[in-house]
Amino acid sequence: MLTNRDDFGIAIRSALLQRGAKQKFSLFVLICFSILIFFFDSFSNTFVNTARSILKDGVYKVSSISSSPIRFLNFIQESTKNIYFVHDENKNLKKEIIELKSKGLQVDYLKTENKKLKQFLNSEKIENNTFLTAKVFLDKKSPFLKSVIVNRGSKSGIKIGMPVLDNNYLVGRIVEVNYFSSRVLLLNDLNSRIPIVIEESAEQAILTGTGKSEPKLEYLPDFFVSSANKTVYTSGKDGVFSSGIPIGKTKIKDNEVTVDLFSDLNQLSFINIVPLAEDEAKF
Amino acid sequence: MVVKKEKLSSKIKYLFPIILLYYFSISEIDTVFSNYFEILSFNLQLIIVYFWVLRNPSILGYGNIFFAGIINDVIMSSQLGTSSLTYLTVSLVASYIRAMTVKITLFTDWFTFIVALFLSNFVYFVLIVNFTELNMNYAELFYNTLFTFIFYPFFWLLFNSYISITGLKTNEG
Repeated sequence: MLTNRDDFGIAIRSALLQRGAKQKFSLFVLICFSILIFFFDSFSNTFVNTARSILKDGVYKVSSISSSPIRFLNFIQESTKNIYFVHDENKNLKKEIIELKSKGLQVDYLKTENKKLKQFLNSEKIENNTFLTAKVFLDKKSPFLKSVIVNRGSKSGIKIGMPVLDNNYLVGRIVEVNYFSSRVLLLNDLNSRIPIVIEESAEQAILTGTGKSEPKLEYLPDFFVSSANKTVYTSGKDGVFSSGIPIGKTKIKDNEVTVDLFSDLNQLSFINIVPLAEDEAKF
Repeated sequence: MVVKKEKLSSKIKYLFPIILLYYFSISEIDTVFSNYFEILSFNLQLIIVYFWVLRNPSILGYGNIFFAGIINDVIMSSQLGTSSLTYLTVSLVASYIRAMTVKITLFTDWFTFIVALFLSNFVYFVLIVNFTELNMNYAELFYNTLFTFIFYPFFWLLFNSYISITGLKTNEG
């Protein structure tokens, strides 16, 4: 029994402390160093923040370059696929253009009417649709975090909390800002919470990420009658997002109301970053 | 000239596992296949670290394992040091198993990999739950670990074939 315990002790000690001929550090030193870095990273002061920002910008750049061959292969694959469907797609698009043209006139009329009513009510500010376009340069999937890295940072005036759109549809918000890059937390991430309003009924709820493709609605009113295919917009109740940004359509799934997003979060390439309410004038 | 060429090819042979570890940590390539099967994802870095430390810790080098973890944390937006600690925990188990066992078989490697996975997940869990404000889906962590364990034999065979094809020496030099 004593010998067994001795063997265990010797083996653990050798695993932790022995460096071998070619190793510069022992496991023990590196484990201590990792723990130190872990706690150091939770501090927030100018030096730590600058160092963290430089490290992240550098790693993202290298990552983007090293991923380019993979992205090129994906591009070729997608382009080949598209060639096969281009004829049918063209036909459908022509039809859609005709329909949209007639709807467009109606929308213009409603927009003017809405603007007038808002001025009359002297309520919320009128959105002026100014935003900054950024390129997604890193989209590494993880089972634990749904996010993308974009090529705009504090140098371009990006701030934490800014809403991020893909073709005018909400896809997420900025959660990390470096000097040249930022991280966008997508709507389907487990940590994402967005106040929303449902069309017609104007019921309010919180859109919560589930880690899967479709986020769900939480904190719905007590007597909420769930129905599918209703458009969900941002409510702007958090005071950060503007109201009325379209997000997706409701879907009923296992007694839960989920939202089928308008944007495919796996296919983001260019996104629009909207300034925060207080920065809109400066942007 | 011939000696130089041989030296270079021998260096490249030894560099392959390191390149693989760094490339999977830094590039966009991932091992998440949720588009095909919702719960399918695995952690290839853990497999690489465990296999190569078990064969010869000096091929990867603990320093490289540590840096690969830091890079992975930056890419994944985890608190710096989290992945390093989990990779080093796997290295510790592998190093211990290496010291305790004489014969290498798929079964012993695979069986002991459970212990490494358990300990590394325990470290990850303790760090995330106690020191960060991140919400985590424990079911996804479980499936990720399960598939990492299931796919280990496949990579074991692949890496062993690489060792036998290249004639890589796996004894500490």
